[in-house]
Amino acid sequence: MLLAKTLRSSTLKLALISIGIFGAVVVGLFTYVYWSTSSYVRSRADRGIAAEQAILQRAYDMGGRSALVDAIAQRMAEEHLQTGLYLFADSSYAPIAGNLDAWPPSLKDTNGWSNFSTREWKPDAPHQPLLRAALVTFPDGSHLLVGRDIEDLDKFAVQIETALALGISLIFALAGVASLYVTRRTVGRIEAINATSRSIMQSGLGKRIPLRGTRDEWDQLAINLNSMLDRIEALMGEVKQATDNVAHDLRTPLTRMRGRLEKAYGRPREGDEDQALISDTIAHLDGVLGMFTSLTRISQIEANDRTAGFRAVNLAEIANEVVELFDAAAEDRGAHIEAAGAPLALVSGDRDLLFDAVSNLVDNALKHGRDAGHVSVEVTRGDDGAAISVADDGPGIPATERRHVFKRFYRLERSRRTPGNGLGLSLVAAVARLHGADIEMLDNAPGLRFRLRFPRPTAS
Amino acid sequence: MVEGRRRILVVEDDSETAEQLVESLSTSGYQVDLATDGEEGLSRARSADYAVMTIDRMLPGIDGLAIIRRLREDGIGTPALIISALGEIDDRVRGLRAGGDDYLVKPFAFAELLARVEALARRSATVVKETVLRVGDLRMDLVSRTVTRCGRDIELLPREFQVLEYLVCNQGQVVPRAMLLQHVWDLHFDPTTNIIDVYVGRVRRKVDDRQAYPLIHTIRGVGFCVRAPC
Repeated sequence: MLLAKTLRSSTLKLALISIGIFGAVVVGLFTYVYWSTSSYVRSRADRGIAAEQAILQRAYDMGGRSALVDAIAQRMAEEHLQTGLYLFADSSYAPIAGNLDAWPPSLKDTNGWSNFSTREWKPDAPHQPLLRAALVTFPDGSHLLVGRDIEDLDKFAVQIETALALGISLIFALAGVASLYVTRRTVGRIEAINATSRSIMQSGLGKRIPLRGTRDEWDQLAINLNSMLDRIEALMGEVKQATDNVAHDLRTPLTRMRGRLEKAYGRPREGDEDQALISDTIAHLDGVLGMFTSLTRISQIEANDRTAGFRAVNLAEIANEVVELFDAAAEDRGAHIEAAGAPLALVSGDRDLLFDAVSNLVDNALKHGRDAGHVSVEVTRGDDGAAISVADDGPGIPATERRHVFKRFYRLERSRRTPGNGLGLSLVAAVARLHGADIEMLDNAPGLRFRLRFPRPTAS
Repeated sequence: MVEGRRRILVVEDDSETAEQLVESLSTSGYQVDLATDGEEGLSRARSADYAVMTIDRMLPGIDGLAIIRRLREDGIGTPALIISALGEIDDRVRGLRAGGDDYLVKPFAFAELLARVEALARRSATVVKETVLRVGDLRMDLVSRTVTRCGRDIELLPREFQVLEYLVCNQGQVVPRAMLLQHVWDLHFDPTTNIIDVYVGRVRRKVDDRQAYPLIHTIRGVGFCVRAPC
């Protein structure tokens, strides 16, 4: 299984291509080394032969045949010229002087350089060594052969050839094994990721990719994928929670409506009572529809890029208008509401959404703050951007619950009975995200302070 | 400006919604023509002079916005109410840019539909700007910004005055909450809280408390209506 995957792997293909290119370069390099070494050695032998020939030629030129015969005898006697090959023959190739007993038949009627072998040279050797010679024919028709035993050179060349061939084979073999090993390792790690993905598809998000603790890039990938899975699992949990809440919050009013309608259905028609019932039912339906509106509104704010329609908005103006709008509501509760802070704080944004977000915060502050309490909407402008905060002097939110309040439908236990659908702060959070604003919950001692901190407008 | 029955064109493909629209608009005194797809809507709007038309956003054939765009290119300025089942935010803006005059999101209360249609129909008629508005024993002076009932002054904040002015301008008509928010505060969203009711409640206390009869009425689930008893 793993082997088949290894063979199919793109890593292996890549490795084989690299080996091919690298191998071709190495073979080319080795061929060049072989060629230049052997030609150097050969040319050295040729120079030696040519020097010998020149000496003998001079002897012939100075003293004729007898001088040449003497010179040959003299050179043959010398110790270090044992590999030398000399033969002086007359015009009919009958030997006159030299260490070959007969003129090699293959060399008759030729001049210049020749490679050959002959029985006349080292007759005891198991096979005839390779010889190289230069041939010259004198004006009187006699022939001179000066050569050398190059068997050692030949052996040297063969040795180089063997060494190069061995080297190349070794390189290929090692590269092949290495690439198989690397590929197998890669395929193994990827296979671990694949196996986890498959088991996630089959049985849910519980599984995680195992780490090897090597801190290499594979572990990095596994860590990142695992944290992505953690995030997805958390989001799925939230979605499930929200769905359950929607189901619950929808089912309750719908059940009530159904019960009422059923009761009315089994009863004789009565004008006033029926009208009250219908009007109640419509009000409940409106509540349900309102919840849908809020939900789709939040999704739309989150999904659409509305930043293109952003304009310069004065937070202070929004604060004043919201306070003015909520003045009546505050009065009803005997509470006091006021706007404070900088008179001008421009941010780039959507006025409708900002107004909605701030009014949701104020609505919360009034609902959950102290009876006859004090709510203030404060606008500040600093070097790092503008901020708007809404503070109450009520019981606040316990620090442990704070991170939950932006979840859809989340409601504190004590707020279950106040009207609302638990979507207000989700909307605020969505609006804040759209505007790139940070949303903070601070202790107002006593009470709670929500603060939206906007980034500096980049346009101006 | 009294006319005969005003003509209204309804472009709607859902048969039940269309039937309800035709019925409620007819009982409100409109002569209703119905078109069930975009092509028919376009040709009817071109061939007759309507006071208002309502157009569904999603239609088979040509979609609602394209119809309005083409009518405006032809120089036909019939005020249009776009009825959309899509979400409000983005589509609303696009709808209004295409030359439509108002929008309404499905599902809607028929009272709200009527209120918006009425407002559009009035917009198309010539309106003489009055400086003094009266309803029952209430008198609003738009120049001196004063309100009196039976000759007694009523103290209103500037924004409260605007709210009352808009309601009185539309006396006898239901003014939906979102419409009030749109015209008085220039905000274009459906408030998720009951804040508008609370605000109008305070205006009502100032206007109606200790009076012979109430003028400001709440229409549950929709909005408000100013009317004097007959």
